[in-house]
Amino acid sequence: MSAAPSLAVPPTFDLERVLASIDTMAAQRPVAAQIVSVANADEASAKELSRILASDVALAGRVMKLANSAFYGMRGRVTSLQFAVTVVGFATVRTMATVALTDLDDESRLPEDFWEVSTSLALAASTLAPRFAERPQDALCLGLLAQLGVALLHHNDPDGYAELWHDERSFAGRRAAEVQRYGISALRLTSVALEQWSFPPGMVLPLKQVDDAASFQGALLRAVFEIAGRLTDRDHEEIPIERVSCGQLRERDVLPVLDQVRVDAEELRRAMLG
Amino acid sequence: MDDHHASPEVIAAVFHGVAVSDATAIVVVEPVDGALHVSWSNEKAVGLLGYAREDLRVLPVEQLLPTLAGGELKLLLRRERAVRMTLPVRGASGALLECVVSAVPAPAGRRWTVRLTSTANETERALRATADAHERRFSTLTERSPIPTLLSEQGMRLAHVNDAFCALVGRQAEQLLGTGWMCTVHPDDLDAVIEEAAAVLGGGGEAGEGEATARLVRADGTERTTVIRFSHLFTPGVGAGFVGTIEDITERLAFEARLAHQANHDPLTGLPNRTLLADHVAARFRPGEGRLACIFLDLDNFKVVNDSLGHAAGDQLLVELARRLRATVRPGDLVARFGGDEFVVVCQDVGEAAAVALAERIGEALRQPVALGGVELRPAASVGVTVQTAEHTAAEELIRDCDIAMYQAKAGGKGRITVLDSQARARAREKLLLVAELREAIERREITLMYQPIFSTEDGTAVAVESLARWQHPVRGAITPSTFVPLAEESGLVSGLGLLVLDETCRQLAAWDAELGPAAPARANVNVSALQLDANLHGHVESALQRHGLHPCRLSIEITESALMKDPAAARTVLLELRDLGVQVSIDDFGTGYSSLAYLRRLPVDCLKVDRSFVAELADGHSEITSAVIALASSLGLCTVAEGVETLEQAEQLALLGATYLQGFCLAAPLTGTDAATWFAAQHDAEARP
Repeated sequence: MSAAPSLAVPPTFDLERVLASIDTMAAQRPVAAQIVSVANADEASAKELSRILASDVALAGRVMKLANSAFYGMRGRVTSLQFAVTVVGFATVRTMATVALTDLDDESRLPEDFWEVSTSLALAASTLAPRFAERPQDALCLGLLAQLGVALLHHNDPDGYAELWHDERSFAGRRAAEVQRYGISALRLTSVALEQWSFPPGMVLPLKQVDDAASFQGALLRAVFEIAGRLTDRDHEEIPIERVSCGQLRERDVLPVLDQVRVDAEELRRAMLG
Repeated sequence: MDDHHASPEVIAAVFHGVAVSDATAIVVVEPVDGALHVSWSNEKAVGLLGYAREDLRVLPVEQLLPTLAGGELKLLLRRERAVRMTLPVRGASGALLECVVSAVPAPAGRRWTVRLTSTANETERALRATADAHERRFSTLTERSPIPTLLSEQGMRLAHVNDAFCALVGRQAEQLLGTGWMCTVHPDDLDAVIEEAAAVLGGGGEAGEGEATARLVRADGTERTTVIRFSHLFTPGVGAGFVGTIEDITERLAFEARLAHQANHDPLTGLPNRTLLADHVAARFRPGEGRLACIFLDLDNFKVVNDSLGHAAGDQLLVELARRLRATVRPGDLVARFGGDEFVVVCQDVGEAAAVALAERIGEALRQPVALGGVELRPAASVGVTVQTAEHTAAEELIRDCDIAMYQAKAGGKGRITVLDSQARARAREKLLLVAELREAIERREITLMYQPIFSTEDGTAVAVESLARWQHPVRGAITPSTFVPLAEESGLVSGLGLLVLDETCRQLAAWDAELGPAAPARANVNVSALQLDANLHGHVESALQRHGLHPCRLSIEITESALMKDPAAARTVLLELRDLGVQVSIDDFGTGYSSLAYLRRLPVDCLKVDRSFVAELADGHSEITSAVIALASSLGLCTVAEGVETLEQAEQLALLGATYLQGFCLAAPLTGTDAATWFAAQHDAEARP
C-alpha cells in the first residue's frame, strides 16, 4: 500500500454529500430510476418493464443490443423490446438501468480500466455462480455493479481517487486505502447504494461481506476480484484461489474461466455502453 | 399550542407507550463528547440486547453495530433522511443478532431514534427453511434425475444442467452453463432449437410448451438425436426462464430405420423391394414430360437351379446377380428385387437407345460364369424394356409395361431383350382388360354351362352329358373356351372357373333329378384343367357333391392327356383319391399328346375320349388311329367316348369299331340346362313308348 501523503487526508471529500448524490441521481434519470424501482417487484412483467424502458431510447437500445449479443446466443432474433427484456432477465435490465443512472456509462468520468475490470468481474461471476449456488444472471449483475462505489468516489474526488486507483493495484489494498481516505470502501458504498435502491439482499450481502475471509457469502465476489486482477493487471500478485473462495475453487478451475472471460468481456462492454 | 403540536399529556402517553412497548426495540443515539452513544432505550431493547439498562445507556454505537465501525456509521445515521439497513447487532453476550436497523433523525439532526427488529423470528426462519427445503428438493430431483435437464431461471442463459445432460453430451457442467449448451446442438439444428426456446421464453406456444428435434454433438464428435421439450418458467421479480428436458431418441430412430429398411428391402439381397420400387417410380413420374425407363429381368431356368442344386444355391445365385446388377447400373439408377427371380432397374433421363444399351450391359454382366456347388453356370435373363411415353398416365403403367415386355421376351425365346412397342402394348392391355372382365364374369357367375348329351352305342340312348363352359360377353359377344380357358390359366383364374363349372354342373344334375326323376341324365362329365390337378381337387369335388346331395357316380372328371403327363406320379395320386371317392375319370383328347402307355396302365382311369381330329379322319377313309385307340382301351378294360361325331355314318362306323359312347353335333348339340331337361324328358318318353 502506498503511503503517499496526498491520500492521507481527503480535503474535498464529504461522505454525506456522496450519499445525498445517490438520491439526486434518480431525479436526473427518471426512467432508469423507475426501472430500478420496479424491476425487482414480484409483480414486475416483461411487458411493464419494456413499456417503461421504451421511454429511454438509449437504454432500450442497449438492452436490445445485449439481448442480441453472442452472450445470449440469440443471433439477432430479438426484435421486440419486450422479448429483449425476457431474454436478458429483469435483473440485467435493472443493472443496465443502474449503470445509466449512475453515469457508469460515461467512461471519461471513470478510472481508465474501470470497465475492463467490471466486465471481467461480471463474466467471471456469472460463469462461477453455480459453484457458489448463486444464479448466474444475478452474479453477472453483481459483477457489473460491484464498482459502482468506485465511480461515486471518483466522481466526488476525481484526482484523489485516480491517484489511489493508480497507486493501489490490489483490490484489498485499494479497499484499505479507500477506508483510510474516505472512511468507507468503494464496495461498501456500492452496497449502500444498492440497498438504498432496494436491490435484493442476495446482491447486497456479498458486497458487505467481501472482506470477511471466513464468509461464504463474500467468497464468490472475492474469487472474481482475484480472477479480474489476474486478467487486467500485469503486476497482479496472485492469491491462491482456494483461500479467497472458501475452498470452492481450485486453480485448475480458473484457467477455463480466464479464457472464457477474455473472449466475452469486450462484447459485453460494448453492449453495456452502447 | 397549534394543531401540529401534541399536548404534553399526549407526548407523555406516547413516550410511555414506546418505553414499555414489547413490540419494537428502540434506542436513542446521540453524540456525547465527539462519539456516538446510546442515550436511551426502551424495555424491549433491554430485553433484546441483554444489557443492564444503565450499561446500555452509555454504550458506544460502534460497539452495538460492529460492522459499521468508523466512518460507516454515517451511512446509517443520516441527518436528512431515515435509513434502513440489515445489520448484525452485538448483544451483551457478544453474540451477533441479525436485525433490520431503522434510524430516524430527530428534526434538529443531532439525535436518532433507532429501531431494532430481529430478522431471526420464528416465522422468517420457518419461511427460509421451507424455501431452502424447496430449493434442495428441486436440485436433488433434477440433479439425480436420469432425464437430461436444462434450467434457466431468466432469459436464454442456463443456470443449471443436471448430470444426465452432462453425461449425454460428454461435457462438464461448467462448459454447458450460460450459452455453452448451444454449442452441443448440431449447427444445422440450432436455429430450430433457439426458436423453440425463444417462443417458450416469450410465453408463446401452447401453454408455454414447445419442442424441437435436434442432434446433439458429443465431446467425442459422435451425435445423438434428441427431442428437446421446453416449458415456460416464471419467477416473480426475476422474469421468464425455461426448463428443457431431453429425450434421446437415437436408438428408437435407428430401430425404426431398421424396421423401415426391412419393410422396404428384400432381406436376401438387400435390394429395395416391390413397395420401395413403386414409391421410387411414383415419386419421379411426371406424366408427359418424364424420361423414366424400366428394365424388367426374369432369370431363365432359375427353377432348375433350385431343383437341382437346392434353395441355398439358388439364394446364393440371386445374391451374386443382385451384386452384379448394382455394379452395372449407373449411379442413381434403382435396382429392386421384384420378387422370386425377377429384378427391376429404374433409370432417369434416358431414351430408348440408352435403356437398351444398359439392358445389354446388364445381360452381359449376368452371363459371366458363376460357380455354385461345384457347378459352373452362365446365368441368363429375359429382359423387358419400357421407356416412358406420352401414353403413360400413371407410374404403375411403366412397371406393368416392362413386365409385359419381359413376358414377350421370354415367349420369344430365353435370353432376349424386348422393347415394348405401342402395338404390343395395346395387345397386352387388351388382354389385361379381358382378364379383368373374365374375373368379374366368374365372380358374378356370368360364365354359363351348356350340356352336350353322350350316347351309348349299345342301345343309342343318352347316358350322360358333358358340361361345356360358355362366356357371353355383353359387348364382345360369345367368347370361345379356347380363348378364355387359357386366359384363366395364365392369370390364375382357372381355379375359380373350375369350381364354378363343378358346382354349377352338380346343381344342374340335382335340379334335373328333381324335375325329371329317372329321366334325368345319369352322369355329367366335367373338364378339369391341369392347374386344378392338385391335392385340393378331391376336396372340391367331394364338397360339391355333398352340397347338392349327389352320389359320386354321377360325375366323371375329364383331364387332358397332356395335363396328366406333366407329372404322372402326382396325377396318379389325385386320380386315386377321386376313384376312391367313387368318381369316374376320363382322359380327354387322347392320342393328341405324348402319353406314355406304361403310365396309362398305371393311371386309375375309366375312360378314354377319342379326339375329334381322329374321328374326322374317318370321313377320309382313315380309321387306323381311332380303331387303335378303341382297341387299346378295350384291351386295358377301359371304355371309350368318340367326340366330334358329325354324321350318322361316322356313328355307325364308330359303333362297329367298338366305341362305347358317342358325342357329336349330328346326335345332339350342346343344350342349355332348361333345353336339356326338355330334351331328356322327350327321350325318356320315346323310350317308354312301346
